Amino acid sequence: MRLSPFRYALALTVVVAFVLATGLVAAQQAPPSWKQGQPKEMESSTLSPIAQPPAPKAPGEIPVDKIKVPSGFKVELWASGINNARVMTWGDRGTLFVSSRVAGNVYAVTDKGGSREVKTIAKGLNLPNGVAFKDGTLYIAEIHRITKMEGIEGKLDSPPEMKVVYETLPKDAPHGWKYLAFGPDGKLYFNIGAPCNICIPPDTHANISRVNPDGTGFEYWAHGVRNSVGFDWHPVTKELYFTTHGRDWLGEDVPSDRLDVAPKKGLHFGYPYCHQGDIPDPQFHSGRACGEFAAPLIKTGPHVAGNGVEFYTGSMFPPEYRNRMFLAQRGSWNRSQKIGFRVMMVTLRQGDVPRYEPFAEGWLQGDQVWGRPVYTRQMKDGSLLISDDYAGAIYRVTYGR
Amino acid sequence: MPLARALTDIRSPLAPRFARWATAVAVSLAVLAPRPVPALAADLEAGRRKAVACAACHGLDGNSTNPTVPSIAGQVGIYLHWQLLLYRDKRRVDPQMAPIAAALSESDMADLAAFFAAQRPAPPAAGPPDPARAETGQRLAATYHCDDCHGRDFAGREYAPRLRGLSREYLVAQMRGFKARTRGDLDGAMTQAAQPVADADIEPLADYIGSIK
Repeated sequence: MRLSPFRYALALTVVVAFVLATGLVAAQQAPPSWKQGQPKEMESSTLSPIAQPPAPKAPGEIPVDKIKVPSGFKVELWASGINNARVMTWGDRGTLFVSSRVAGNVYAVTDKGGSREVKTIAKGLNLPNGVAFKDGTLYIAEIHRITKMEGIEGKLDSPPEMKVVYETLPKDAPHGWKYLAFGPDGKLYFNIGAPCNICIPPDTHANISRVNPDGTGFEYWAHGVRNSVGFDWHPVTKELYFTTHGRDWLGEDVPSDRLDVAPKKGLHFGYPYCHQGDIPDPQFHSGRACGEFAAPLIKTGPHVAGNGVEFYTGSMFPPEYRNRMFLAQRGSWNRSQKIGFRVMMVTLRQGDVPRYEPFAEGWLQGDQVWGRPVYTRQMKDGSLLISDDYAGAIYRVTYGR
Repeated sequence: MPLARALTDIRSPLAPRFARWATAVAVSLAVLAPRPVPALAADLEAGRRKAVACAACHGLDGNSTNPTVPSIAGQVGIYLHWQLLLYRDKRRVDPQMAPIAAALSESDMADLAAFFAAQRPAPPAAGPPDPARAETGQRLAATYHCDDCHGRDFAGREYAPRLRGLSREYLVAQMRGFKARTRGDLDGAMTQAAQPVADADIEPLADYIGSIK
């Protein structure tokens, strides 16, 4: 077929216009990732993420007395000076390993009877949020790889090299940092978050995955999970419970973050098509119905940023605390009135909706944030540690005595 | 050589002694002082008294007349506080600021930050660039999404510093530092944001932002 001169000119114009348009798009840089998905009508919003302080707070600057817990419980400052303290995991010999995110460090905290000694055992890592420990070996999850340090507890002053366990992982920075934990099946579980606030993610993203500790047998466990950076398994049923951060820029009060249960492999939890179990995404619903997806166990609140999940199995707290879940909520940024900045507790009840109530709060005073609780970890004696990545501290909650 | 300069300039023979002295004072204060009651609010009046030590370089009210020293009047308070922490921990490197920040307690930092944040910024020293250059700068600021964090009017926002009216020399030096990954950063956001900025775009950007009244 031959083109008439008119059609030829038209085609040429279309091609030139396309090249110019894409050229202009290329010249425009991407906005910061937290801004992605912000609709036009919210353009004048002054909300932006709470920045991480450059240094941990001095012990005298940490107002522990502002943390309120139920009657009979006490809170103390257990350790400080741990820049950006995040996930905590116990070594066999009583070392507490503590991760960080933007600080890029992994720490070892040892109890010196009345005070704690903090050593930095790795630095310069790529958002090393995930740490898990098993049989003398510490596992560390960065954005792009999972590594291990063997025999670390005997070598805190000259840490062994980090051996790669698994590195077939996306390298995206948004939601690329990981929670890491051993499941009851002995496998390492971790999240691969959506590489955006809201988008149709590649098939490789927005999930919880697992791999054997020798790096074999990678598989996806749960799908449609925007970003889960906290999970644990029920002590009796062995089912996986996890928190998820909901999308931003949909509104002050929606969508709710969620607590979910994934009792079996392969469930889809809705992202990006449906939020909080009942709100189709206005842009990315793709014609999918919310009923197609697993519904949240609890809507934990808009923008609360649920991180740590831990079932209580100790005996220090009153008997009704056994098998309760502690949820650490780092707190909101995409909301005018701040919410979260607390540790909640969840009591699962046979044939009834779970009870969901505050356990520790006070890091938010009016509109002022002085700390952000991110994870919990039970101690051997049944007391509970809470990490605070904003103040760079760890608190200990005890009961009675 | 002015006294403050003689004490803090590393080339000065007095500087190491000043740093040791300042550290000694800070340590003894920390030991002698009763355990401070954790405070959430900074003390602006205490900041005014402490700010006298900053005047030689930054000006009494935080309006600097030296183009290599930033004006800090009206700057975002938490930004000032956290920059002092970066200087103290040597993550933002500057031979003059390092010993000064090392001698400050965290409440000193909070008080100073509150004081300077409350001062009125003087109008920019630089006259407006020619309209074509201003327009280029404005376009570049939009292209690189500078206002997403620094605010539409570049008056700063939450954690991001106020940039309007800062000297061209200072702005250019900071941008080059961020691009070279040598300027201390809180969480890497600005270092990352500076990477796509073309070298040739830095000066027009600074001309535009620095001249906003």
